[in-house]
Amino acid sequence: MLWVDKYRPKTLDHALVHEDVAQNLKKLVTEQDCPHLLFYGPSGSGKKTLIMALIRQMFGASAEKVKVENRTWKVDAGSRTIDLELTTLSSTNHVELNPSDAGFQDRYIVQEIIKEMAKNRPIDTKGRKGYKVLVLNEVDKLSREAQNSLRRTMEKYSAYCRLILCCNSSSKVSEAIRSRCLNVRINAPSEEQIVKVLEFIGKKEGLHIPSGFAARLAEKSNRSLRRAILSFETCRVQQYPFTSNQTIPPMDWEEYISEIASDIMKEQSPKRLYQVRLKIYELLVNCIPPEIILKRLLYELLRKLDAELKHEVCHWAAYYEHRMRLGQKAIFHIEAFVAKFMSIYKSFLIATFG
Amino acid sequence: MSQSDIRKWFMKSHDKDKGNGDAAAKPAKSAQPPSKASEKSSQVKTQLDKDKQVPVSEEKDNSGRRKTSKYFAEKEKERVEVPAKRKSQNDGDDYEKPSPAKKVHKGDDDDDDDFVLPDSKKNSVDATPRKKLKSGSGRGAGQKPVKIDESDDYDDVKDVLPSKSGGRGRGGRGASATSSGGRGAGQKPANVVESDGDDDDIKDVVTPSKSAGRGRGGRGASATPSGGRGRGAGRGGFMNFGERKDPPNKGQKEVPEGTPDCLTGLTFVISGTLDSLEREEAEDLIKRHGGRVTGSVSKKTNYLLCDEDIGGRKSEKAKELGTAFLTEDGLFDKIRASNKSKAPQQESKKSVNNAAGLSPKKIVQKTEIKKECLSTPPSENVAKKGLTSAVSLDKKRVQTTQHSALTWTEKYKPKLPNDIIGNQSLVKQLHEWLLRWHDQFLDTGSKKKGKKASDSGAKKAVLLSGTPGIGKTTSAKLVSQMLGFQMIEVNASDSRGKADAKIEKGIGGSNANSIKELVSNEALSDNMDWSKHPKTVLIMDEVDGMSAGDRGGIADLISSIKMSKIPIICICNDRYSQKLKSLVNYCLLLSFRKPTKQQMAKRLMQIAKTEGLQVNEIALEELAERANGDMRMAINQLHYMSLSMSVIKYDDVRQRLLMSAKDEDISPFTAVDKLFGFNSGKLRMDEKMDFSMSDPDLVPLIIQENYLNYRPSSVSKDNDGIKRMNLIARAAESIGDGDIFNVQIRKYRQWQLSQNCALSSSIIPYVSVQLLDWNSAFLHGQRETFEQGERNFNRFGGWLGKNSTRGKNLRLMEDLHVHILASRESNFGRETVRIECLTLLLKRLTEPLRVLPKDEAVREVVDFMNTYSISQEDFDTIVELSKFKLLHICIEQGYPDPLEGIPPAVKSALTRAYKEGSKSRMVRVADFVTLPGIKKAPKKRVAAMLEPSDNGVGEINEEVIAESDEEKSSDTEDLDDSAVGEKLQKELQSLNRNGVQVQLDLKDSGKSSAKKTPASRGKGGSGTAEKKGARGSGSGAKRKR
Repeated sequence: MLWVDKYRPKTLDHALVHEDVAQNLKKLVTEQDCPHLLFYGPSGSGKKTLIMALIRQMFGASAEKVKVENRTWKVDAGSRTIDLELTTLSSTNHVELNPSDAGFQDRYIVQEIIKEMAKNRPIDTKGRKGYKVLVLNEVDKLSREAQNSLRRTMEKYSAYCRLILCCNSSSKVSEAIRSRCLNVRINAPSEEQIVKVLEFIGKKEGLHIPSGFAARLAEKSNRSLRRAILSFETCRVQQYPFTSNQTIPPMDWEEYISEIASDIMKEQSPKRLYQVRLKIYELLVNCIPPEIILKRLLYELLRKLDAELKHEVCHWAAYYEHRMRLGQKAIFHIEAFVAKFMSIYKSFLIATFG
Repeated sequence: MSQSDIRKWFMKSHDKDKGNGDAAAKPAKSAQPPSKASEKSSQVKTQLDKDKQVPVSEEKDNSGRRKTSKYFAEKEKERVEVPAKRKSQNDGDDYEKPSPAKKVHKGDDDDDDDFVLPDSKKNSVDATPRKKLKSGSGRGAGQKPVKIDESDDYDDVKDVLPSKSGGRGRGGRGASATSSGGRGAGQKPANVVESDGDDDDIKDVVTPSKSAGRGRGGRGASATPSGGRGRGAGRGGFMNFGERKDPPNKGQKEVPEGTPDCLTGLTFVISGTLDSLEREEAEDLIKRHGGRVTGSVSKKTNYLLCDEDIGGRKSEKAKELGTAFLTEDGLFDKIRASNKSKAPQQESKKSVNNAAGLSPKKIVQKTEIKKECLSTPPSENVAKKGLTSAVSLDKKRVQTTQHSALTWTEKYKPKLPNDIIGNQSLVKQLHEWLLRWHDQFLDTGSKKKGKKASDSGAKKAVLLSGTPGIGKTTSAKLVSQMLGFQMIEVNASDSRGKADAKIEKGIGGSNANSIKELVSNEALSDNMDWSKHPKTVLIMDEVDGMSAGDRGGIADLISSIKMSKIPIICICNDRYSQKLKSLVNYCLLLSFRKPTKQQMAKRLMQIAKTEGLQVNEIALEELAERANGDMRMAINQLHYMSLSMSVIKYDDVRQRLLMSAKDEDISPFTAVDKLFGFNSGKLRMDEKMDFSMSDPDLVPLIIQENYLNYRPSSVSKDNDGIKRMNLIARAAESIGDGDIFNVQIRKYRQWQLSQNCALSSSIIPYVSVQLLDWNSAFLHGQRETFEQGERNFNRFGGWLGKNSTRGKNLRLMEDLHVHILASRESNFGRETVRIECLTLLLKRLTEPLRVLPKDEAVREVVDFMNTYSISQEDFDTIVELSKFKLLHICIEQGYPDPLEGIPPAVKSALTRAYKEGSKSRMVRVADFVTLPGIKKAPKKRVAAMLEPSDNGVGEINEEVIAESDEEKSSDTEDLDDSAVGEKLQKELQSLNRNGVQVQLDLKDSGKSSAKKTPASRGKGGSGTAEKKGARGSGSGAKRKR
């Protein structure tokens, strides 16, 4: 089992980071009725862990008896019926799903399916909780229509159903939904916290961690706890005992993107742009989400860029990322960004060096 | 001229040609007295010369058709019909230019087509088809006979055999021979007898010795150069196929303007790369000047236009056939010459190019002349003609007024089945079918009906299909008319609904009813006045137009066909229409094809001739092509154009039809080629829009794939490619705009944005890539290749392929993700799995195999896989997704394949171990397990992980108890649930006992179909697991409800 899973805190009491949040949540659930919740924060900060622990707190161990289903629904949308397929993770008391997986049909998920689930009141023989919990991941990726449909659902079925929403950025969740939820911000753990966790794991695993190694892992992880633990384990698999200057292997795709970035820096020509396009295709084909590609690419470029260009390049990256979200074919926009960068950088080079 | 050896060759031949031409012209001149042609002999000469030199296509055509004396009578009649106005116009035009002598001839031609050849020496000159004359004589150098209209018109062999006729020329050589003959006419009696086959020009030329000699001379000129060429021709043209280079001096030469007819009658084939023109441009140029461009070299080809000798098929063939070679410069010279020579030479000399105005008449004259010569003494003829022309003019005027009311489509409707253009075999088939119909279905009717019905070949109805305007209805009508059937036509303007029961009894008045009656009651009709027309045929026109208004139309039609006592002809446009699906089974299918443009042009030419229009054949072919096979439309167009002009040229047709052209299907590739193509700058915006709209999905993709390859033509202004980079950035952004528009269109159905979408996704990119500034709209960019050996064609858009691969990989990821979730060990999101975990997973799966001893490694890996319920397919997915092609670093560092370094033995051991383990593994259940009692989602995929069953049988109870403990808080399963669970259990167990391996697929409906989770189970212990699985799923589902 991966360490990430192995040492994932199962209950709110065991939380290693965000203890305060955990305690508050515990009080919230045990002492009074739980409102709708919106967890937001960067990835790797522990949102899901908290949510799972919270559900366990609500329903006890049975919440861990989950099963995974890939269900198809037939939704009647006026003139035609739409087949929707969605993977759900459910226990007796909660259902977890990822409505944005349905792409632009997420509206129907929210309108029909969530409503249907929410409507079904659990047959409550034990009378412990009169509601069930619906966990929706990646709410920020829901389309505007879906979010609008969601808010009605939230009000109407609040008696039988609690929604727990989870997302990276609350800014992409509509105001109306945010106001209906208790917003819980989960910060990225600080590097000290990460180091603490890594050392905890190391102790449990009986590993000797050279001084400074954990700190380097934490630094590399970009304050993502999960990332830190994963690369910790990767290092463990690659080489043990650790040495303090052991290289921390980057992710394969990051490596690839940095190569693309240096390609771009080396030459700015249509031919190079064409090659870059092929490489970006390769990334996309390997299921790297386009937003992440763009972000990482910008990051790599900025590292190599002169300060005076940084501002402009960032501006264009943001511009094209926005357009990418508006559009559908991500490659067009990434390519447009690269082309723009090339054109800016080239004129800069020539202006500077002649 | 002196550019290269090859050039020299060309030039030589060219010069020679010229020389010949001049030579020919000179004698003519000299012979002609400045004053009006009093000397007939001189006239003849001049005319002949003219003919040779400048063939005018129109005239050719006309004359071609009129050659034979048999037709004269007819022609005259036709003539009479020609609207007076036009006539007069023509005449006027014709008469003005030429010198008096010519005028006489011309007048004759136009009016009567008969020309009297005053031949002092009494040598009869045979009428040669002017084509030959033109090509042969006009071009001087050995040219081949140009068949402009190589139609069947020349069925008649003119036999004018002068006494002196010498030996016979060869077929192909006829042209040159004739020319020489023509020349000879003045000096010596030249007798040319020509018999023209349809398309093969078999000319028997009987020339006097002198003329023959000349002819050879002329030929020789052309023949030699080509021969020389042939030897020089290099290999490898074929290798370069498809990589046609850009013209080296593109756009740097001034393209000459010549008289529109200066190339008339000449056939060109373009080969290789020209010096300054793109191939399309050259084609355009030639066509504009009346020449014809064909794709491959044949006997009729006059010139092979090429600048560099790349060898290849065309030039070889040309050498073999002795076709003359022509450089681009040569072509330009020819065209230019037409202009220069015009003014000064018009009257006395006929320069090669000049002919435009004059030649047509001459040509006609020749033919006529010859014929006339035989029959009448020259002087008389002249007189006659003068008379007749006057008379005919008057007549025509009268006639025109009478006939103008009819549209041409009606007027020139085929009168006989044979007149129908194209599809003759189908017409014949129809004819036979109709002919035999009564024998087949009626006479034998009641007695042998059983047998007949089984005869699959015989259908009681026929279905004609084809695009509009190609004569379906006409042929149906003509055929039935010819066989004496009485036609009843029902088309979309009549209601064709199903007659209801009452009406069928014969009371109602609707059309449908009467049809029914008609179809069913042959007997009745026999008694009544139908008997006068014992044979009736029902023509159901436009059956695919039957729609809501015609209730039950098709069904009714079918039932009518079944019981029909008369033949039924159905006509439709689209045979594959969904509506006709059922009908097709009951009909004999005849699919009409579009006639070829030559066929159409021929017919159009006939019409034009009858109407007195001056049209050249190239123009008509263009018209035919534009009409895209629709004869009716072509005629309408012609009619329309005839209202405003009496002389129609290639350019007229082009221009006019640009607007009224039928939409034709062009492939996205063609569209992109045109958008990026050589004269895209000249296209109007709406045309560009049309191109990009031809496939609004594919065109942008292809453009996106290729726009990087285009570079602006005026790179010189661009230092260091900055401008180009800027433009590319702009184009890329615009393509992005297109994508955003597309989302708006598709997602929010904002179809009004489609124009913007086309604009930004297709037009702006190409414009910005190709043009440095918008003012230089006539320059255009060229495509360049990025890599050696890449073909310089537009690539197909890569997005589709990549996107589908991505989709596939996403599905695989999703499977992996679901499995990991199902292990209940983890709750990563899918993206997280890919972005953050995949590296580690891969390491955990492969690193041990590389490092540890075999058994241990295998055990560890299998354990890990089991923990996360990673199947072998998932393993492959992980490996696959970790591969990045094109990753240079990886390749350099030497770990391209994550699996490299793992000995095969270990791999196979792993596979074995995994399979082994899968017996005792928890079950991932199950799709397509029909869960009784669940209506709504009968097919659900449940991936429930169960604990490994090593605990043994005894543990079931504990498990169950434990479970119930855990679920204390939850609702208990109701009876139904357990019943369901048990049932499943039993099923599964029984299967197991029978040794059947149960493979329950994780259902990824539509996803990876091949994904099978091995759920085979051992006996004993595994039974428990199964139960649990079954149960789990059953109850889970239940609870959902």
